[in-house]
Amino acid sequence: MTVRGLALVVVMLSAPPAPALAQPAITAVRVSGAGPIADPAARVWKDARPVKVAMLAQTVTLPNLAEPAVKELSVRAVHNGGWIAFLIEWTDATLSDRLLVDSFGDQVAVQLPVDVKAAPPSPMMGHVGGRVNIMQWRAALQHDIDKGAPSIKDLYPHAWTDVYPDEVLGATDARPYAGALGIENPVSRGVASPVLDQMAEGWGSMTVKPDQHALGKGEWKEGTWRVAITRPMVSDDVNAPRLVPATRTAVAFAVWEGGHREVGARKAWSPWIPLVIQAAPPKAGAR
Amino acid sequence: MAKVFNWQLGREIDFPYEVERPEKQFAMIFDTNKCISCQTCTVACKTTWTQGRGQEYMFWNNVETKPYGYYPLGWDVNILDALGVQAMDGPVYQGKTLFDAAPTGEVILGYVPDDRDYAHPNIGEDDSTGTMPRGAYMTAPHMQWMFYLPRICNHCTYAACLGACPRQSIYKRREDGIVLLDQSRCRGYRECVKACPYKKVYFNTQTKVSEKCIGCYPAVEGGRQTQCTTSCIGKIRVQGFLGKPDKPDADNPLDYLVFIKKVALPLYPQFGLEPNTYYIPPVHVPPAYLRQMFGWGVERAIETYKRAHEDTKLLAAMTLFGATPEISHYFRVDGDSVVGYDAKQAEIVRVPLREPAVVRELYDIKHKVYRTNIT
Repeated sequence: MTVRGLALVVVMLSAPPAPALAQPAITAVRVSGAGPIADPAARVWKDARPVKVAMLAQTVTLPNLAEPAVKELSVRAVHNGGWIAFLIEWTDATLSDRLLVDSFGDQVAVQLPVDVKAAPPSPMMGHVGGRVNIMQWRAALQHDIDKGAPSIKDLYPHAWTDVYPDEVLGATDARPYAGALGIENPVSRGVASPVLDQMAEGWGSMTVKPDQHALGKGEWKEGTWRVAITRPMVSDDVNAPRLVPATRTAVAFAVWEGGHREVGARKAWSPWIPLVIQAAPPKAGAR
Repeated sequence: MAKVFNWQLGREIDFPYEVERPEKQFAMIFDTNKCISCQTCTVACKTTWTQGRGQEYMFWNNVETKPYGYYPLGWDVNILDALGVQAMDGPVYQGKTLFDAAPTGEVILGYVPDDRDYAHPNIGEDDSTGTMPRGAYMTAPHMQWMFYLPRICNHCTYAACLGACPRQSIYKRREDGIVLLDQSRCRGYRECVKACPYKKVYFNTQTKVSEKCIGCYPAVEGGRQTQCTTSCIGKIRVQGFLGKPDKPDADNPLDYLVFIKKVALPLYPQFGLEPNTYYIPPVHVPPAYLRQMFGWGVERAIETYKRAHEDTKLLAAMTLFGATPEISHYFRVDGDSVVGYDAKQAEIVRVPLREPAVVRELYDIKHKVYRTNIT
């Protein structure tokens, strides 16, 4: 067994996967409308009460940071019967959406248990047999969508290259020179959404799902990130939760401050927080 | 941490995983005395593997001038400084490895280079340690010196990149020990970039994930040596496989040079990774510097190398450098020649141990001139 595997077992034995009691529940308020709720400036957020979520340092597995930068998130949740959405806000003085070898991107993630009827699995990315759905928004992907992926010339204005394979070869022949893009690694390719829809069964198992359902958008203004993340409440994805109004499940969060070189396991995380999915309003005429 | 045996350090070390040695280990030997830093290897690698977008700065193979050349800037002095002075006397290393020196919260001691550290691949090129004073004369080792250090990924037995990756995106192949980074699994955390003390994992800004030397595995699987080896005009390299360190095969040229004759030494063995590219140290450089770079066997390796002309089998193994594009799994001396064999013991190359020489008369009677070159 690996050291990490052993550490995970220790966590599983020492940290029962129960929702944290001290943390007030988050209620996904029923709002009107239909379709994705991916706009952080949408009016619907006014209907939801923001809940402060205390963020903890990930210090159980290696590598880690004892003092991650973000200590608290403000979270609102809404749903319209078809889509559930979270608006996550936090203070971040530096906008980090450019990836260089020594530059890391801001990120935030929402985690839901796949099996909403069972007790939540390990809050730390689930465990073997206890799957979680993790929707991760990345500032670098948001940048690519809003402004286009930065070219080498954008990153290094004085760079000069005589010719690239894709300029002289056909698409198929040039593919081997495109690295992870050539094999469509989902963290590489330009995607329609800045949110990666993923599943995990413990540390190191994060997998971007073949079918992407999560959408969202992030805006950084005056030292604050406002990020909306939304997904269908019900889908044909077996690795996604089936979220039904008038039920309860749990939700957890993770956040990375790129300017503080936070990436991967170097992050701040929250334990499970009760998530109440508000019932649909009674239909007109119903008694 | 698991306990694994590092033969280069003569002791067990801590490593994140229990590791079984591969069936055979991809390895390369460089004769630094023959390298002229022409960078043909660098260009061969670059044109083969790293022409794409985001790979502009990647040199899976590079050649730097020591002591003032580094790519990226200061890679070795930075990590040596972080590790601190360690006792480096053999046969058992008493100092700390990079795993021993891991700070709290880390798998290994390492650092992420600054982006600008990659801006000067030729820094320090051809710079000597200093200028020669008036009246200076040749001494050995030289009073002022430099040498060329060709480098690729070391395909370490206990690879730091592999140990540090939290996703196990990096793996070591059981069949040949080549260390590969799975381009479909990497998520660009750069833990490998941080952990590799040799800084041979590179982050690609266009794909948002990291990349590294692949040991030319498509060629190696076909029995051919790597591009950087076959393109070497100075014939300073040989690439093949090492067997088990406790059961060296005297008929395997790499086993013979590394395990038996100990004429080729690992690069910064004190880091603890059991790197698998080996260097015949430069004979003109002060041993104090070389000992830090190649370990405590430096003086003996230099002495062995200097006397290679008296040792037919050693000369034979070294004559295979640059002699064939194919991988010599075995070799033997046959009369005045060395013969290289493939994995199935079929002859692939035959090279005379001494280059045939013809000495002509100094005076050319026909043309009535003295010759300036008679050999």
